Amino acid sequence: MFDSLSLTRIPADDEALRAPVRAFLDKALEGVAPEVRARSWGGFDAAFSRALGERGWIGLTLPKEYGGGGRSLYARFVLVEELLRAGAPVAAHWFADRQSAPHILKFGTPAQAQFHLPRICRGEVFFCIGMSEPGSGSDLASVRTRATRNDKGWRLDGQKIWTTNAHRSHYMIALVRTSGDAGSRQKGLSQVIVDLSLPGITIRPITDLTGDAHFCEVFFDGVQLTDDALIGAEGDGWNQVTSELAYERSGPERIYSSVVLLDEWLAHLRTRREPSQRSLALAGRVLSALAVLRSLSVSVNGRLAEGESPIVEAALVKDLGTTLEQFIPEAIADALGDDPDATLPDGLARTLQYVSQIAPAFSLRGGTREVLRGMIARGLGLR
Amino acid sequence: MDNEFGDAFGQLLADRCTPEAVRGIERGEGADALWHDLVESGFVDALVPEAQGGAGLSLHEVLPLVQACGYHALPLPFAETMAARAVLAHARRQWPDGPVTLDAIGDALPVEDRGALHAALTTAQIAGAAARVLEMSIAHAQQRTQFGKPIGSFQAVQHQLSVMAEHACAARMAAQLSFASASHLPDRTLAAMGKSVAGEAAAVLAAGSHAVHGAIGITAEFDLQLYTRRLLAWRVQGGSPSHWAMQVARQWWSGSHDRAIDFTLERLGAARF
Ligand SMILES: Cc1cc2nc3c(=O)[nH]c(=O)nc-3n(C[C@H](O)[C@H](O)[C@H](O)COP(=O)(O)OP(=O)(O)OC[C@H]3O[C@@H](n4cnc5c(N)ncnc54)[C@H](O)[C@@H]3O)c2cc1C
Repeated sequence: MFDSLSLTRIPADDEALRAPVRAFLDKALEGVAPEVRARSWGGFDAAFSRALGERGWIGLTLPKEYGGGGRSLYARFVLVEELLRAGAPVAAHWFADRQSAPHILKFGTPAQAQFHLPRICRGEVFFCIGMSEPGSGSDLASVRTRATRNDKGWRLDGQKIWTTNAHRSHYMIALVRTSGDAGSRQKGLSQVIVDLSLPGITIRPITDLTGDAHFCEVFFDGVQLTDDALIGAEGDGWNQVTSELAYERSGPERIYSSVVLLDEWLAHLRTRREPSQRSLALAGRVLSALAVLRSLSVSVNGRLAEGESPIVEAALVKDLGTTLEQFIPEAIADALGDDPDATLPDGLARTLQYVSQIAPAFSLRGGTREVLRGMIARGLGLR
Repeated sequence: MDNEFGDAFGQLLADRCTPEAVRGIERGEGADALWHDLVESGFVDALVPEAQGGAGLSLHEVLPLVQACGYHALPLPFAETMAARAVLAHARRQWPDGPVTLDAIGDALPVEDRGALHAALTTAQIAGAAARVLEMSIAHAQQRTQFGKPIGSFQAVQHQLSVMAEHACAARMAAQLSFASASHLPDRTLAAMGKSVAGEAAAVLAAGSHAVHGAIGITAEFDLQLYTRRLLAWRVQGGSPSHWAMQVARQWWSGSHDRAIDFTLERLGAARF
């Protein structure tokens, strides 16, 4: 069962990327507070993204002819691992880098690729992912936003929600209905690239429980798209979106969301002369789990690098990973609360508060735990 | 990680170490015949250097053999004997004939290495038995019907099996890390990390498989118990998950890395496979 997930080596020349990336990040993030770094791929900083773009660290795996780095998925794994380790504010370019750009390369026309990819690689243009709608979350195939053919191209009507960074992005790749109705399910879905500056689009940020506003409601009211807005084949949207999700679910961001908190806590333990046995046992447990998860994540990355589409394996590693991500704040809070009279360093206290509050999102974004477990069950032959 | 010796040895155990054979040995009916076949196969000297008559394999190459012991609930210390012979051979000592436990190593190895070896062997056997109980549970869920449908069509059962699959996968990777060595001995940290994770997985797989099987799973007559009893025993033999988590933490404490990823990457860097 899942025998394909074997210990996988990152090639040495890809591993060699780690040192320059780390040197850059150490400098760029010097003095940034841990509760800010803990946001990492939720943290938006356009200037930072452009600085990465200048170094060739966006679109690392894209072909050089499109401004990419022409590197392997292993190199990207190393880059991403370093960005997450540092808690870099990568949200601006994250979604384009992770999924929109590879998606355009795979399904788009040469003209679409020529137009979008170089800008993405320079960190000038940001994308968001328009899948969820008010009535369509886990049941994504029920989307109602509709693109209707007309003489100028497509007319777009409907609404998306939870669209991360829609208010700060230039484009959205939206999953829309181009024929049939919600009852037609997977049939009749397509994907379109939407220029978010077009008339008829209203974007409203939604504030989350920590006070951040990263995701949005997006309304489309008679938005006129040109003919070339369609990406891939009309009616093939469901297949396309499924292949996109393997990229969305497999990365190290699904195991490291609490790692800045973990590091703050480990650094705090170091300041003790003798940490409690309980704290040490917890540290050892988490470090062991991380070693195994990281190995599994590299191995899924290896499957992707081989050109496979390990959808079930990615779901499996994401569920294991987000479980650890959510365990970390809960367990650290409990361990620290062992000594109710001790004062915590401010940075640790604020980071713990932030990560504890946002942790429920870890197993929702990118497909809920229950949905992933359903996919794994299908992989086991149970559905 | 899978290889030809693994397949050949697995076939041997599938033929000779059947559930009936396991029960017979547990009843005290004697294991000489099975042991004889295992020795004849030559695998027991897999880790002994070629100059001393062995196959000169390294630990990562014999992982499939040890996993197979777990998968087939082998009631004999084949893995321990294989490891002890290798240690004694490297120490230029004689090894006793017949099956032995790691006690046979005596002072031929520092206690830390012996502990790590024990952890690695139990981890790999957990990975094997985990795969077995997962397969049995899936098969049962597909075949047993209640309320007019296979119980595997109920979402609560599906999710339980999915979680078991995740932990079986984690145990398998933990075993690969524990055995990721080019010598006959595991890396101490990787073995500690592996056992900490596999020990937790063992509990999930044992509990989950019994839940899915219902009452039949706890009968002596049904085969599931052959594997779950061992999963629970291997979980603590050679050190419980907490014991090994503490060892990992001590290594972190005595090292210089504060960042979790730095420590993890440094230790994963010791993997040879
Ligand atoms: C921080 C964050 C960022 C996000 N960013 C984006 C984005 O950029 N773009 C985008 O398109 N979406 C985004 N999402 C949305 C995300 O993909 C959805 O939240 C997710 O798919 C679940 O949909 P829902 O919230 O409507 O919950 P629902 O689907 O209503 O689910 C509610 C609960 O019911 C359970 N449930 C639903 N159906 C089943 C079933 N069949 N069996 C068992 N349980 C079930 C779910 O598991 C969950 O526990 C984001 C979400 C978060 C939290």
